[in-house]
Amino acid sequence: MTMLRPQSVFPLAITALGLGLLGLFFVYPLFTVFKVSFIDAQAHITLANYAKILSKGFYQQAFINSFAIGIASTIGTTLLGVPLAYCVARLPVPGKSAVLVLIALPLVLPSFIAAYALVLLLGRSGVMTVWLQAQGIPFRSIYGMPGLVAVYMLTLYPYVVLPTLAAFKAVDASMEEAGQNLGASRWRVFWTVVLPIVAPSVMSGALLVLIESLENFGVAFVLAEDRPILSIEVYRLFAGEVGSNPASAGVLGVSLILCTTSVLLLQRRYLSKRRFATSTRAAPPIHKVGSALNLLATVFVWGTVLVALVPFFAVLVISFLEFRGPVMHGNFSVANFQDLWNRSSRPLFNTVFLASAASLVAALVGVPIGYVVTRFRSRLSHLLDMTAMMPFAVSGTVLGIGLVVAFNAGWLILTGGWLILVIAYCVRKLPFNVRASSAILHQIDPSLEEASINLGFSPVATFFRLTVPLMLGGVVGGMVLTWVTLAAELSSTVVLYSGSWSTMTTVIFQALEGTGAGIASAASAVLILTTALPLLMVYRLLRKHQLAVL
Amino acid sequence: MAAIALDKIDRKFGTVHAVRDVSLEIRDGEFFTLLGPSGCGKTTLMRMVAGFCELDSGSIRFGARRIDALPPHRRNTGMVFQSYAIFPNLSVAGNVAYGLRARGVASTERNERVRKALRLVHLDGYEDRWPHQLSGGQLQRVALARCLVIEPEVLLLDEPLSNLDAKLRVEMRYEIRQLQQKLGLTAIYVTHDQEEALAISERIAVMRAGRLEQVGTPWEVYNQPANPFVADFMGVTNLLPGVVVSARGGRIEVKIGEALFAARAETGAAGDKVTLLIRPESLLLLPAQHGPPPNFASFEAIVARIEYLGVLTRLDLDLGGVTVRVAVLDKAPDHAVPGGRVSVGYDPARAILFPAS
Ligand SMILES: Nc1ncnc2c1ncn2[C@@H]1O[C@H](COP(=O)(O)OP(=O)(O)OP(=O)(O)O)[C@@H](O)[C@H]1O
Ligand SMILES: [Mg+2]
Repeated sequence: MTMLRPQSVFPLAITALGLGLLGLFFVYPLFTVFKVSFIDAQAHITLANYAKILSKGFYQQAFINSFAIGIASTIGTTLLGVPLAYCVARLPVPGKSAVLVLIALPLVLPSFIAAYALVLLLGRSGVMTVWLQAQGIPFRSIYGMPGLVAVYMLTLYPYVVLPTLAAFKAVDASMEEAGQNLGASRWRVFWTVVLPIVAPSVMSGALLVLIESLENFGVAFVLAEDRPILSIEVYRLFAGEVGSNPASAGVLGVSLILCTTSVLLLQRRYLSKRRFATSTRAAPPIHKVGSALNLLATVFVWGTVLVALVPFFAVLVISFLEFRGPVMHGNFSVANFQDLWNRSSRPLFNTVFLASAASLVAALVGVPIGYVVTRFRSRLSHLLDMTAMMPFAVSGTVLGIGLVVAFNAGWLILTGGWLILVIAYCVRKLPFNVRASSAILHQIDPSLEEASINLGFSPVATFFRLTVPLMLGGVVGGMVLTWVTLAAELSSTVVLYSGSWSTMTTVIFQALEGTGAGIASAASAVLILTTALPLLMVYRLLRKHQLAVL
Repeated sequence: MAAIALDKIDRKFGTVHAVRDVSLEIRDGEFFTLLGPSGCGKTTLMRMVAGFCELDSGSIRFGARRIDALPPHRRNTGMVFQSYAIFPNLSVAGNVAYGLRARGVASTERNERVRKALRLVHLDGYEDRWPHQLSGGQLQRVALARCLVIEPEVLLLDEPLSNLDAKLRVEMRYEIRQLQQKLGLTAIYVTHDQEEALAISERIAVMRAGRLEQVGTPWEVYNQPANPFVADFMGVTNLLPGVVVSARGGRIEVKIGEALFAARAETGAAGDKVTLLIRPESLLLLPAQHGPPPNFASFEAIVARIEYLGVLTRLDLDLGGVTVRVAVLDKAPDHAVPGGRVSVGYDPARAILFPAS
């Protein structure tokens, strides 16, 4: 029901404010990246930058690598995720509620730490590598395409599993029964009835995987070594040792954004097609299957869920081992943590401060936007919705570069302090905040707000008196999720941090570039704990508000 | 407490013409019902009165005051929602006090009025309960109390009973009517249940596709429907296609199938195609070898089907291609058997003619 009337300035004010902020801190910075990529040293408009970069074999290879890895990860994740979702939705797999919690975890745990753990286990001198080679197995290392695809599959599979699971559960049992009743075998019904219904959900999840694997910086940085990858080359061109080259970085950045943004637009289309029979009367039954098949399903589900979490446990354990340079020794000690602490405790403080400030601001901006786009449908609010989703498709490095180029001179100078980090974090997390608050609102009957208005409170008063209290639990849950993912934010941080504003992630990043494996593992362990503990604390809240992590 | 005047109201949603040129006068203290099939614009019309839906054109007045430009929170209407819309984060007392807080009523007076309102809906002692501890009927009462306590000028009820079970529905509609009469409130009630509408309304407006088809008392819309749509919507009826064979002095004869029907009507000429309306319960199965009562007309037909429904029995009679339905209390007389011939009497005043559509 539309409530948008001329005298209700409230939604209009929020829309204007939202579009203004996004325009200034998201669209404008990206536009500057776009601009520098088309300008030569004499400030003339030119295509020369593109011609120069795109004709180099090295950068062509970067495109090929990025897309090969992205597509392979997407296919792999789908092949892993859809059967897994089916098993959880329709087979009597034991411990389902635990599975449901564990499945969502990789989305909020720092993925580049999973990649780093894999290096510790399966890198050139990794624990497992050494062991395998001692067994006479000619395993070299995990670096390169196989490692990247493996890590993306293990950290991104929830993007496919969660929506697909919901779709499988929402297929009305009577539809399947009708199919069988008409003489189709169960297998045939699955292919002709069930799969087409869940397909849009699978597709929209898979496209998110494609975006994430194309734009991801940390995982690629850890595992690519010297293979060219788009998201890394953008960073190297901008912050490289040979001197900054914003124009060339811009060329790659613009290309990357164009790719991911078109994937996102495609994903939105699939998302809007996602329609189940809304009047689901009977939840689909859990199939009875033979014990062998059930065992297989159980091993598959629990195996995947646990393997995806193994890297994080490995890091926790390894952080207590003694390192000499990059080489690990068998003795347990807390030396790594002492080293880390002695260096400086400032990064931990910075991480906590930046993540707290940014998750607060992201909620303050994102919740009203979510409210307006959900409750006041109009062309303008649709534009706001689309713009607020776009940061999801923009890699953190490119956004960071945009912010630096846009705000290191001129009327507004932000570079070099903490504020620019908070701004970048807010922009990065805005899509999640808008989606989350819109999901919370979908669970609140709009007639509650109408009742409040009808009883005499103005729309603004109703928002603060009724809607905010009703949303509060969910919003707090969403803020914790934001906090947790921001504490592990690497891609925009490495571009934007300076001087005393290094964070836990940049400490790990520097240690990886150098030889501080011990410090890196200790910092990773601290980061895992800082993210896991808040999650545990608000777990019930998240369950109650059915907060989707997507 | 005010009369409501709707004047030439119109509203389109894109290509859907939800409300077309609706003009209505609802009297002070009247219980007025909007009735019609799903999607006919009842909710839209009511939401316009509440202020949740804008008018493309037209005006709404409470008494002499024009209110259609007023924002919804300043219209002083009390709306009861289909989904109850009870605030889950407030207790029963908190819910009922909500509108009083909006009006800045001091706390002692507020508590007193909340207590009174809850007593009115038979929920005394439920002040500190939480909404999730209440049944559907109790929630509906809280919703009512929450509206009544603010002493609204107009009470608006949009299918308030549709989430309740059949028995409770009958009880609650009686309670709502009683309260409305006791407090002398003007009420607009939306439903698509014709029985409910007949049972509680003083007047009913039957709507179709955004238009008012007829406005009248329950007796009028049931017995003197303005057109076949209203007749059909008001319950099972016979709408029989036929041709006028003679028209003399207000008495018209119509041939339907092979039978000849009599009806009273002011206009009509031989050869006109018409639809004749006669309700199944206005038709009287005559005992074997009996003529009709005085002033009654009669026709003969073949029994096609008999359905025993408990309170009454329904017979489908064949007039030679046209089926006419008869309802008799209890069971059908012994001589009425499928395939057999029966005589049926009726009062021609109960037969209404419409031009064929
Ligand atoms: N906000 C809206 N946007 C677009 N179309 C609408 C909107 N509100 C109502 N309509 C359309 O206007 C028409 C009338 O709707 P309305 O809700 O008033 O019907 P109703 O008589 O209350 O039906 P029901 O008995 O199903 O509640 C419908 O065709 C509906 O689809
Ligand atoms: Mg309605």
